[in-house]
Amino acid sequence: MTAPDPTPVEVETPFEVGLATEGLSKAFGGVQAVDGASVQFHHGKVNALIGPNGSGKTTFFNCVTGMIRADAGTVSYRGRSITGKAPHRIARAGIGRSFQLCRVFPRMTVLENMLTAVRPGSLPRLLASAHHRDDVERARELLARVGIEHLERAEARDISYGQQKLLELAGVLMADPETIMLDEPAGGVNPALIERIAELVRSLNAEGRTFIVVEHNMELVMSLSDHVVVFDRGRPICEGPPSVVQNDPRVLEAYLGI
Amino acid sequence: MPSDSEVRRGSVLITTLKIVGVLVLAAAVLSFPSVAGNAFILSVGVVIMSYAVLATSWNFVGGFTGYMSLGHAAYSGLGAYGTGLIVIHTDINPWVALGLSGLLVAVLAVPVGIASLRVRGASFVIVSIAMVLILLLVFQSWGEVTGGSNGLRVPRPFGPEVLRPEQHERFFYLHAALLATALLVWWLIDRSRFGIGLKAVREDEDKAQALGVPTFNYKLVAFVVSAFFTALGGGLYALWFGFLDPIFQFSILVGSYMVLMSLLGGIRSLFGPLLGAVIVGYALEFFKAEYGDTQFHLVALGLLLAIVVLFMPDGIIPALTQLARRFAPQASSIREMTAADLAERRRDADADADGSSEENNGTEHHVTEGARS
Repeated sequence: MTAPDPTPVEVETPFEVGLATEGLSKAFGGVQAVDGASVQFHHGKVNALIGPNGSGKTTFFNCVTGMIRADAGTVSYRGRSITGKAPHRIARAGIGRSFQLCRVFPRMTVLENMLTAVRPGSLPRLLASAHHRDDVERARELLARVGIEHLERAEARDISYGQQKLLELAGVLMADPETIMLDEPAGGVNPALIERIAELVRSLNAEGRTFIVVEHNMELVMSLSDHVVVFDRGRPICEGPPSVVQNDPRVLEAYLGI
Repeated sequence: MPSDSEVRRGSVLITTLKIVGVLVLAAAVLSFPSVAGNAFILSVGVVIMSYAVLATSWNFVGGFTGYMSLGHAAYSGLGAYGTGLIVIHTDINPWVALGLSGLLVAVLAVPVGIASLRVRGASFVIVSIAMVLILLLVFQSWGEVTGGSNGLRVPRPFGPEVLRPEQHERFFYLHAALLATALLVWWLIDRSRFGIGLKAVREDEDKAQALGVPTFNYKLVAFVVSAFFTALGGGLYALWFGFLDPIFQFSILVGSYMVLMSLLGGIRSLFGPLLGAVIVGYALEFFKAEYGDTQFHLVALGLLLAIVVLFMPDGIIPALTQLARRFAPQASSIREMTAADLAERRRDADADADGSSEENNGTEHHVTEGARS
């Protein structure tokens, strides 16, 4: 970072760079899960990250969000380095995320789950009541948006898996991130709910939020995303608009082993 | 499904019951010395209050963050020896010495917390035990300062004109005041944004971080507050009892009592550790009186713990609250809301707002989702 205000991206670049990695690597024992991955995601768009099982997508996610420390490489967000930062700092830089298999706070109510994402900002606000009228109101709006506002008093462990997925998304939104990373949003949920989640992603994207989505449901990926990055053996092998990626021979080989 | 006014009436009722409950509890505690009868019963009361202070202090870490410290005797012991040594070696007023000792332990808890809160689960438990064992060895061997295994005699803060029952009564109220302070701070944290962040750590630390909660700083503050109150509890006990032996001060057993009491009453409840302390404290004294110097009181306690874990894993207070809730009007229940109820609610909402057809689509999906749960 040389200047306090990053200069606009060069004119010939056709897209604005959001989250970007350079040579990111992570090995577990002898397995090179992420292998020198350099990726640039398009800011303001719906990006998809696809690839066969074990291609390193989730590890890549975890390295980017600081949940695990990468062995090598750098991560930047809109030109500013976030390499090696703690997860909560990356979250506060404007990147929210969901987890594979969905994680909520099981023994807290749906409303409390939402209020956890509020940033206190100052010491008096940190010690003030968590059930502040404005926060509760905003939480209720977001719960209504994903369609589970009637559950606010239920404990998160008592609601269905699909509802937990919606709660997780609403919780991420409560933190008001610019960029939202979703790890398999359609995993394990019924087709009706998949369509509902896709609809939410579209409308949130239309409001200016960037998405980076790891997903196995090809139909969803192709209908939802503007830009697709294909991972294989820990690094991107191809990227582009869905229509181009779909017919790329390298992608067919990685997926089908042709 | 109960109407909104029913729900409101229900919550007003619950709040009133809570306030009445707290007042009854306070009255019971304050009147205990006058109904205690003799000095021995009164001294048992002081011991139980001391346990209640320690367990409630432990619960700042255990209850909020879910980090189970078995080594909190380290902080009560340090608070006790700190207070004793300051009183012996300086002219400082004993009550100032107590506060000073608490602050010193709180400062010491910062590096200890930074080191030990890096590890979770079983590893944290082991680190917490290691701390007590190290302190036990140090205080036993460093005889010229701590009195070693011969123990340390701490001068009483009240003059010789204050007789034994009067001593007990004063210390009973002092412990009650400290307990009330700890409970108040716990309650304030419980309802705050800080508290909700701590509880998120307990539920899922990684997830909390991903939502932007600076979990390490939160844990550390809770840990230091906990060590501070535990040290004050230990120091006050030292001023009352007047004699400190490392083997009892830095004992795994004392740390385990704090955990057992809190688990028994319920670590998610404000008054859980207090209730647990009353039950376990009374049981300990009862078994000791029944079985004398044998170790049978430990066997009985072990059985008690097993029963709690098997039948009331969340503790007594949550078990009772759940029972009470069955008779109270339900605030909102996912199970009692049918698809028809939901559809009706949605229709009302849509009539107010100009919902697009897409939103209506989503609504129907959601209704099926709600009905299934």
